[in-house]
Amino acid sequence: MLWYALRRLALFVPLILGVVAVTFGIMQLVPGDPAAVLLGDEASEEAVREIRRSLGLDRPWWVRLGSYYLDLAQGDMGISYFQNQPVADAIRQRVVPTLEVAVVALLISILIGLALGVAAAFWRGTPVDAASMLFAQLGVSMPVFWFGILLMYLLAIRLDLLPSIGRGPPLAGALGDAILGRPAALVDSLSHIAMPALTLGLTNAAVISRLVRSAMLETLGQDFIRTAHAKGLLTFRIVFVHALGNALLPVVSVIGLRFGALLGGAVLTESIFGWPGLGQLAVSAISQRDLPLIQGIVLTFAVAFAIVNLLVDLLYAVIDPRIRLE
Amino acid sequence: MKYARMLATVGLTSLAATAATAEITRLGADVDSATMDPRIQRNTTEYRVNNLVYDGLIKLNADLQVEPGLAESWENPEPTIWIFNLRENVTFHDGSTLVADDVVYTFETILDPDLKARFRSLFTPIETIEALDANTVRITLKEPYAPLLSYLDMGIVSKDYVESGGDIQSVPVGTGPLQLANWERGAKITLEPFEGYWGGAPDTEGIEFVVVGDNTARAQAFEAGDLDIIQSPLSSQDIGRLVENTQFQNEILGGLGITYLNFNTAHPLLSDPALRRALAMLVDQETIVNAIYEGVDQVATSILLPSSWAYDASITQPGFDPEGAKAAFAAAGWTDSNGDGTLDKDGQPLSIVLSTHSEDPNRIQSLEYIQAIMLENGVDASISIADWPAFSEGVRGGQHEIALLGWLNIVDPDRLMFGQFHTGGSFNWGSYSNSEVDAHLDTGRSATEIGDRTAAYQAAAAIIADELPYFVIAYQGYQVFHTNEVSLTPDARGMMRSVIGK
Repeated sequence: MLWYALRRLALFVPLILGVVAVTFGIMQLVPGDPAAVLLGDEASEEAVREIRRSLGLDRPWWVRLGSYYLDLAQGDMGISYFQNQPVADAIRQRVVPTLEVAVVALLISILIGLALGVAAAFWRGTPVDAASMLFAQLGVSMPVFWFGILLMYLLAIRLDLLPSIGRGPPLAGALGDAILGRPAALVDSLSHIAMPALTLGLTNAAVISRLVRSAMLETLGQDFIRTAHAKGLLTFRIVFVHALGNALLPVVSVIGLRFGALLGGAVLTESIFGWPGLGQLAVSAISQRDLPLIQGIVLTFAVAFAIVNLLVDLLYAVIDPRIRLE
Repeated sequence: MKYARMLATVGLTSLAATAATAEITRLGADVDSATMDPRIQRNTTEYRVNNLVYDGLIKLNADLQVEPGLAESWENPEPTIWIFNLRENVTFHDGSTLVADDVVYTFETILDPDLKARFRSLFTPIETIEALDANTVRITLKEPYAPLLSYLDMGIVSKDYVESGGDIQSVPVGTGPLQLANWERGAKITLEPFEGYWGGAPDTEGIEFVVVGDNTARAQAFEAGDLDIIQSPLSSQDIGRLVENTQFQNEILGGLGITYLNFNTAHPLLSDPALRRALAMLVDQETIVNAIYEGVDQVATSILLPSSWAYDASITQPGFDPEGAKAAFAAAGWTDSNGDGTLDKDGQPLSIVLSTHSEDPNRIQSLEYIQAIMLENGVDASISIADWPAFSEGVRGGQHEIALLGWLNIVDPDRLMFGQFHTGGSFNWGSYSNSEVDAHLDTGRSATEIGDRTAAYQAAAAIIADELPYFVIAYQGYQVFHTNEVSLTPDARGMMRSVIGK
């Protein structure tokens, strides 16, 4: 399994090369000149040319792509045109807040998704099933943006339960404090994360619950379940150990894929909830054609996504001993 | 017992937090700063933060009148020479004293293309800037340049701090009434009072700029009590609800921007002023301003802003008049000869592309409304929308036909006219050229008497209102909402000096 993981990690190199080339190619094709955006409307053509030269944008595309690869190989992602700081620093400051929300959202969606999916399958054809599948339908169809605004209206303005915007203390540190018996920071931190994570997580929960339901239905109809019933095992044990354990496999692989959707959704939720993450940074980078920053963020998202999917594949072997990773 | 204590701890902490932040004024911002260096500022949050952290030679008050800033007084012995006498005993946030060299350094570096200062072009008429002694600065111009004074609110940086490698991008050292306490990128910028301020320590606990990208979310955060001030840009669907809420105060000011149609006069059809006039008569300004912009903006009548000293209400562009447009099209030879509902001439249909950028839904809606009326009146108008970098690249390259866009920060008429309408001007994207207008704009820039400048800009504005290289749709309004606890004199640029009484 270690050998397998190492081989998969080695594949990250072509992945990175490819992601960089594709991003670079797209940014070549999209009209819009960062030099002109940098100088604003009140700039002369000459000044724009001057800036293009100083940013190195006047060089042929293959020179620029090549030098980006060379810099990247030395761990240098360049300097953002607009943030006035190295791309690596800008990303480092923003990546933790985005991961915080994504991880909490993932947990929420797994919990809700599993609960609803199992309930719907177990009470198949009853109002419980109908209600949870209605929820799933709503969750999938609701635009993240609209849902976020609605949630804020309800929880922050009407009920005054949660802070409407901003981030509390960093989650990891707050968690440590809570373990040492000081829960205040954790409460504060979670109260800020709650709304963005719910906004992101609910759509995801809907997807997962539908999947869990169908996987459970399939498993519940199989012979070994009947055998388990015949042996007189407790229903609880059958559902949660025998059936769920076997239904989990396709669900886990989808959770890996949904992580990508969570990162993408961060772009929207972060600008609603004033969350200082990579999503917000990505929006401004794209709207300014901040090429090195766009490149860096896309690369970060791609690598994060690849790592999660690697973990999912490794998890397979843990959940299902029949699977051998070669 | 254990749980009770835990709850008590939580309760106390949140109480303490409330008490400590109660006095800080929290302002909603639509974007984060990208730099704390005023010389390369680009976005509105940067201007507004820098305006509190730094001082300029002069200060523009809420009515845009020039007041002394770091310069106590100034003289203009010759049209091309300005001498500024600096205040003594002004200290930077790091404790060092302001000297004339700091002023010289600030402007010399702005003029250096390597700094990539966005507002460099405002200062390029400067020939030299030099320190006559520790407290006197002399600016020599290449040619008389009347607007200069109103641009000198640019924040002055500390030469020693920057040259010795101080991280001015993220740790500003200015002479302003507030200094940076903390900057959580992408979330908030917290400013605290600077006790050593030359004008006396400000009476405030500080100001916090809180970044919320989405307009509606920002309005809701304000309603939820998590912000104390929000201001333009606001979404029209939120304005009505906020105005009705008696917990908030609300003020609207004439802004410093315009929304306009840029006619590309190099386009074969649009090169005819008569056709431009006829098309302009199909723009229903009233409806756009009142229905789309919720009455915050005002119907524009000319290129001169009502807030400007050069304003003259008697200079007017054509108004909304579909019948008049029909007659004007007919007079120019455009009729619906084949009965297909579209005007034509010499077998060619009257086809026009209207364009704008995708970031501002109000602009898209305005353009769609203009298109609808044009279609009703026989003009085959289509729409092209792209995001700002792509759209502006097209307009800068003169590839547009009729573009809807805007100008901001017009503190002097020169800034809205010289580069825009002068033959070969830097932002004359519609290739407009009229030697009379050129002469008036030259006079407006070089004359030192305000009366002469006024006459020149009014003469130019009258020609522009008739020939329409621009059709100005609206004077942009500026709106601010704040809680009753905040005392604020609205400033059309969104500056917050009045909140801290400085």
